[in-house]
Amino acid sequence: MAKLTTQDLEVIKSAQKARLAFRERTYLLICGGTGCHATGSIRVKDALLAAIEDKGLGDTVQVIETGCNGFCAMGPLLVVHPGDIFYQKLTVEDMPELVESHLINGKPVERLLYKDPVSKARIAAQTKIPFFAHQMPRALRNKGLINPESIDEYIGRDGYIGAAKALFDMTPQQIIEEMKISGMRGRGGAGFPTGVKWDFASKSAGAVKYVLCNADEGDPGAFMDRSILEADPHAVLEGMIIAAKAIDAHKGYIYARTEYPLAIKRLGIAIDQAKGYGLLGDNILGSALSFDIEIYQGAGAFVCGEETALMRSIEGKRGMPRPRPPFPAHKGLWEKPTILNNVETLANVPQIMVKGGAWYAGVGTQTSKGTKVFALSGDVNNIGLVEVPMGTPLRTIIYDIGGGIPNKRKFKAVQLGGPSGGCIPESHLDTPVDYEAIAKVGAIMGSGGAIVMDEKTCMVDMARFFMEFIQDESCGKCTPCREGTRRQLQILEKICEGRGEPDDIDILVELSQTIRETALCGLGQTGPNPVLSALRYFRDEFEAHIHEKRCPAKRCVALLRFEVEPDACTRCGMCFRACPADAIVWEKKEVARIDKEKCIKCLTCYDKCRFDAIF
Amino acid sequence: MPTLKIDNREINVPAGTKVIEAAERLGIMIPRFCFHPALGSVGACRVCAVAFTEGPVKGIQMSCMIDAQDGMVVSTTDAEAVDFRRHVIEFLMLNHPHDCPVCDEGGHCLLQDLTVAGGHGLRRYRGLKRTHINQDLGPLVQHEMNRCIQCYRCSRYYQEFTGYRDLGVMGIGSRVYFGRSAPGMLESPFAGNLIDICPTGVYTDKPSRYIGRRWDYQRQPSLCIHCSLGCNLTASARYRQVVRHEARPNLEVNGHFICDRGRYGYAYASIADRPRQAMAAGTPGPIVDILAGAREAIQQTVEKHGPGSVAVVVSPRSSLETLAVVKEACGQHGWTGPAAAHTNRQALNRNTAVSCLRPELAVSLAADTEAHDVLVIGADPLNEAPMLALSLRQVQRRGGHVIVIDPRGVQLPFDFDHWAVHPSAMGAILQALIQEIGGHRATAPDTPATFDITKLARRLNASPRPVVVCGTDILTPHEIALAGDLARALRRTHKVAGLFYTLAGANAFAAALLHDQPVSTEAVLDRIEDGGVRLLVAVEQDLWREFPDRKRLQAALKRLDHLVVLDYVDSPLNREAGHFIPTQPLYESGGHWINQEGRLQAASPVMAGGEPIEITGGSDHPPRVFDRRIPGDEPLAAWRAVAALAGEDEADPAPQLKTALADFHPAVNLSTPEATGQRIDLEAIAHDLVESGPAPEPAEDDAPADAVVLLLVDWTFGTEPLSAMAPALTRMEAAPVARLHPDEIARLGLAEGRPVTVSLNGNRLTVPVQADPRMAAGVMAVPRHHLLEWQVFGETRVIVKRSQLKAESE
Ligand SMILES: Cc1cc2nc3c(=O)[nH]c(=O)nc-3n(C[C@H](O)[C@H](O)[C@H](O)COP(=O)(O)O)c2cc1C
Ligand code: SF4
Ligand code: SF4
Ligand code: SF4
Ligand code: SF4
Ligand code: FES
Ligand code: FES
Repeated sequence: MAKLTTQDLEVIKSAQKARLAFRERTYLLICGGTGCHATGSIRVKDALLAAIEDKGLGDTVQVIETGCNGFCAMGPLLVVHPGDIFYQKLTVEDMPELVESHLINGKPVERLLYKDPVSKARIAAQTKIPFFAHQMPRALRNKGLINPESIDEYIGRDGYIGAAKALFDMTPQQIIEEMKISGMRGRGGAGFPTGVKWDFASKSAGAVKYVLCNADEGDPGAFMDRSILEADPHAVLEGMIIAAKAIDAHKGYIYARTEYPLAIKRLGIAIDQAKGYGLLGDNILGSALSFDIEIYQGAGAFVCGEETALMRSIEGKRGMPRPRPPFPAHKGLWEKPTILNNVETLANVPQIMVKGGAWYAGVGTQTSKGTKVFALSGDVNNIGLVEVPMGTPLRTIIYDIGGGIPNKRKFKAVQLGGPSGGCIPESHLDTPVDYEAIAKVGAIMGSGGAIVMDEKTCMVDMARFFMEFIQDESCGKCTPCREGTRRQLQILEKICEGRGEPDDIDILVELSQTIRETALCGLGQTGPNPVLSALRYFRDEFEAHIHEKRCPAKRCVALLRFEVEPDACTRCGMCFRACPADAIVWEKKEVARIDKEKCIKCLTCYDKCRFDAIF
Repeated sequence: MPTLKIDNREINVPAGTKVIEAAERLGIMIPRFCFHPALGSVGACRVCAVAFTEGPVKGIQMSCMIDAQDGMVVSTTDAEAVDFRRHVIEFLMLNHPHDCPVCDEGGHCLLQDLTVAGGHGLRRYRGLKRTHINQDLGPLVQHEMNRCIQCYRCSRYYQEFTGYRDLGVMGIGSRVYFGRSAPGMLESPFAGNLIDICPTGVYTDKPSRYIGRRWDYQRQPSLCIHCSLGCNLTASARYRQVVRHEARPNLEVNGHFICDRGRYGYAYASIADRPRQAMAAGTPGPIVDILAGAREAIQQTVEKHGPGSVAVVVSPRSSLETLAVVKEACGQHGWTGPAAAHTNRQALNRNTAVSCLRPELAVSLAADTEAHDVLVIGADPLNEAPMLALSLRQVQRRGGHVIVIDPRGVQLPFDFDHWAVHPSAMGAILQALIQEIGGHRATAPDTPATFDITKLARRLNASPRPVVVCGTDILTPHEIALAGDLARALRRTHKVAGLFYTLAGANAFAAALLHDQPVSTEAVLDRIEDGGVRLLVAVEQDLWREFPDRKRLQAALKRLDHLVVLDYVDSPLNREAGHFIPTQPLYESGGHWINQEGRLQAASPVMAGGEPIEITGGSDHPPRVFDRRIPGDEPLAAWRAVAALAGEDEADPAPQLKTALADFHPAVNLSTPEATGQRIDLEAIAHDLVESGPAPEPAEDDAPADAVVLLLVDWTFGTEPLSAMAPALTRMEAAPVARLHPDEIARLGLAEGRPVTVSLNGNRLTVPVQADPRMAAGVMAVPRHHLLEWQVFGETRVIVKRSQLKAESE
């Protein structure tokens, strides 16, 4: 491949016009994200190709494998253009029919379309589906549209135009100014203004500086960054190039966890392509900037997402945080001035260069601008990746986009910010997506993990789960985090096992405060948050466990009796049918009974009983 | 120089000082676990929290992480800070076992101290403690991992400070484990420092396990005499037995650490076969009588054959007191000697080094660490002066560079450049380097092209702080003088260029001041052989173990009329003596030593002496046999014994010592206590010894194709005679082997793993061959190992013809 100039970018862009405007052919965009991979999208794709081949449609139809479309709950999925027709939950067997009916006869296959859970109506057009209708894709603007392994398609969507602008038309200070105007705050969790961070690093003296991308994404329930890397890797590279120009760096690293093989593969391809085009390497696009990017695979420790630990890890040392100051902007990787940004932060940068900071700041709230990507998961109908403007109420995300809670259960809380964040109950669901507003109700914006919990979730157990994660992932360097989180976990386990003692809540609070104030890094400092927020909103559940030895949500096995309350039992037999251990004795019109000898305490019957008759 | 206020007291400290160190200067000991002056700050333990009430930093902060700044007001007693620290200690004690009564750290445990100081007297926690499996780390260090408080000092020390990788931290969270990936002997010869550095009882001193609490011990500042560096240590004794050494911080010498040879080498002072009984021709007698008998033998010899017929050899390890009294005695009576080196080459090497060490060039071991570039010539730091290797490691850690020019397969725990050149090529390289440094192009013949002298000279010239380190064991005086010239040449282009020699013997520097023209044992033997010397007095000089030609020694001894031996180690030599007088090791005598950079240092007596209770009581205690005097208390400080031999009967030797010390050398001034710990007056040493001495030996006939140079060398463990007696160290020793370059093995028709026999002038040495690709061609290195009868060739550097080597079949 020849090294490109700015003009070449335009040429490639216009060559992609037809494809990206879905002209001249029928385009079948099949999701190749990790979620759909898992549900079998590759087999579906093969069957689709075979069916197309079979019908001799090879010349008029093009199948494109994209990154995560976002609506993972519905995978494997396919979008057909023109028409923007959304097909869901596809199987290999559906393919001949889909080709015959849709591609040859022009009639979309009704039964494979999205069905609105409320109106029961089928919706054909992707944009009309509520899940998509409330979103505003910016960081995810190319998801599901382009082939992430094609740099040309990326360029066709204005790719590297922002970099070209930054390289030729802007000074480092202008880039930084633009970032400041955009109001962009780090999407990795802390929400530090990106422009300010770059400003520090650009003012740091030193011939060697580094731009790092944090693709460690360790919170349970988070998959935003992975999806961006899988769907649009070039956006991240381009963001890093712009950052390199801003701070005068010549080397960049993307720190990605080994558990993200697809993301790493696509990043690798993207880097090779960019190098081939001269978009990485010496004198990018013929400009004065030389900049290279390498992928560094982390072994998957949560703490290695913390910036100083991440840098130690790249240095080949044990990934342990160190106190700041010195800040990375002065002494980072190998003691050189360094900036570290999150994947999503960087993916937004090219558009800010192209359209301007003011454009980006055009949506959002007073202190939180632009959009935010969330990975919606847990007890919610539409599990998937969503991007909404800042200021969107959480209720919109959970109900309008997420489709509410499955199985007609009640919403209990949503955990934002994973193990560093907190839970937000029903009473605060109108809180807007805004760094400060979310902090006010006891959670954090975090990197975008949003785990929805229904009424069957025990909040003590939830706190225990996150504490187990934290104490497991503590690097073990500083005393409060290493010892304190273990102590907290012991107490929470004790409570869940029915051995809670009256002063346990006080000890939990005392420990939490000590750890928050004395731990060295963010992991420890925020580790007690889930406990504190659970105590804030669900203290009664803790008290029920401790004083009454009762788990209101019926999750804590040690506190359950595995018996059926005859008065509540409607003799429906649901439990009988669901029990995997054949431990339920039931005859028609009889009250069910659990044979405790056989029962394996899996809690399936508790889930299945609609009448709360098992206790 | 920021000024700050800590607990209402003002202090002015150099920029870069941490608040915790500033407080220490005021005598305020802020609690700390992870902070250590040699390892710096990491902010891990969180126990050093203090309150910053005014100034540039506010709130509760870690005092080890914050640089002292102008206007800071710090309170260490602030209620919130105290509460913070109390919580941290409670956290640490959650998992700490209730072990103090059986823990060897008890009594000098930082955790114990801080737990009490932090007011955590009662444990609230009732749950299970996390436990670990301990590892066998070898004979020196005991591992008890449950006591760990995860301060990371050990892993930082072991990996970052010493550069060894076999001990470190594993696991995360509350599972972090400090140890090796599998149990096994620690590889670092500095591992013993783990014991000092661990603030709890995870690593404790294995040989002294369960022997006593620190407060039970007699403890005194002492010195290591197992090499010439003179590292400072604290010696502990209990029940008349030396039981432990700990590093004693001396920021000008050894920093905070010592090597394991120094830490565990003390056993010779208390072992069962240490001679404690004066003897006349093998018959025990009261020491006064034996001394009188020896004095009489000397007088008779003098009367018969003149004063020159009495010769004295003394050890370069003996105290300054002993050396001075010996010198005085020889001078006064006209006795031959004293000789304080084995061979002529060794004597000249030492004196050349001392005379080249001009005051403006001398640097200390500690100052070495500040060098930017160090050129090591003819020295193998890890084996000859272990702590030097640790100093050089710090040079490398600070971004400096170390280049070693030495024929041996030198290993160091860090990356360095090694020019493995033949000993005969070293002089030419040094000469060429000096030329290049002076701006003249030069080449050295026989130097492989990979060793770029011009580049090296440029590097040294450009270095802000170059230091030349030079050994004196395998070189010749010529090269040793050239090393001095090189440092001097560098000094012309640098304000700070250093010169650092290592010598043979803890007091070799003082031994060099005995005479302008050094006398060697070799020369004394010449005189014995020609009948000039009839009586020999060997003062703490175990010729049998150390003189490189045992056969010649034995023959010479036979020619003597009389042999007087004064020593504290058991040796066949003692049994040859007409009179044997037991002396005291430094733990009993104390004394002064001058280390290789000319620093005068003192060791205090630790105990009175006498046979250890472990021996007299057969390990039983208390003693069941009672006596008016302590069994085995006869040994005298060697200087006293020598004074008795040389002086009047019954005379008080103290004034004699005083005069002897005053007369010893103008450079050495013991009259003020401040002199101790300082470098002696190097200016007062004649710096023309080299020129006035015999001309440098002609270079050995350029490594003839059919010969190798055999070097008998030092190893960290197993060669230094005193430490080689320590049972704890015997497991650390490697078996003696002859190391050669693999090509050399092939060229000589030898086979790796098979023994080779070297036969020279009717003497033979057989030792297994080991390939070492880092060795220079044409060189064979064999350790002066106590398991090897290496004392056969009369020198420790000899040329061996191919025909004199024979491959043995097994
Ligand atoms: C324990 C811990 C884990 C973290 N993990 C991540 C992560 O996986 N991804 C990420 O982008 N930031 C993570 N962060 C935040 C980073 O330290 C850092 O603030 C961020 O990457 C900076 O980029 P931004 O300014 O673009 O957000 C973590 C922080 C802590 C304390
Ligand atoms: S807070 Fe936890 S993760 Fe962070 S440094 Fe301390 S022990 Fe390590
Ligand atoms: S390490 Fe210290 S506190 Fe722990 S058991 Fe030993 S003496 Fe006691
Ligand atoms: S073993 Fe000792 S030095 Fe090492 S971390 Fe534990 S307490 Fe600290
Ligand atoms: S380096 Fe030498 S003086 Fe220092 S402790 Fe080791 S043997 Fe003793
Ligand atoms: S992986 Fe296919 S929609 Fe997310
Ligand atoms: S001594 Fe300061 S944090 Fe450990």
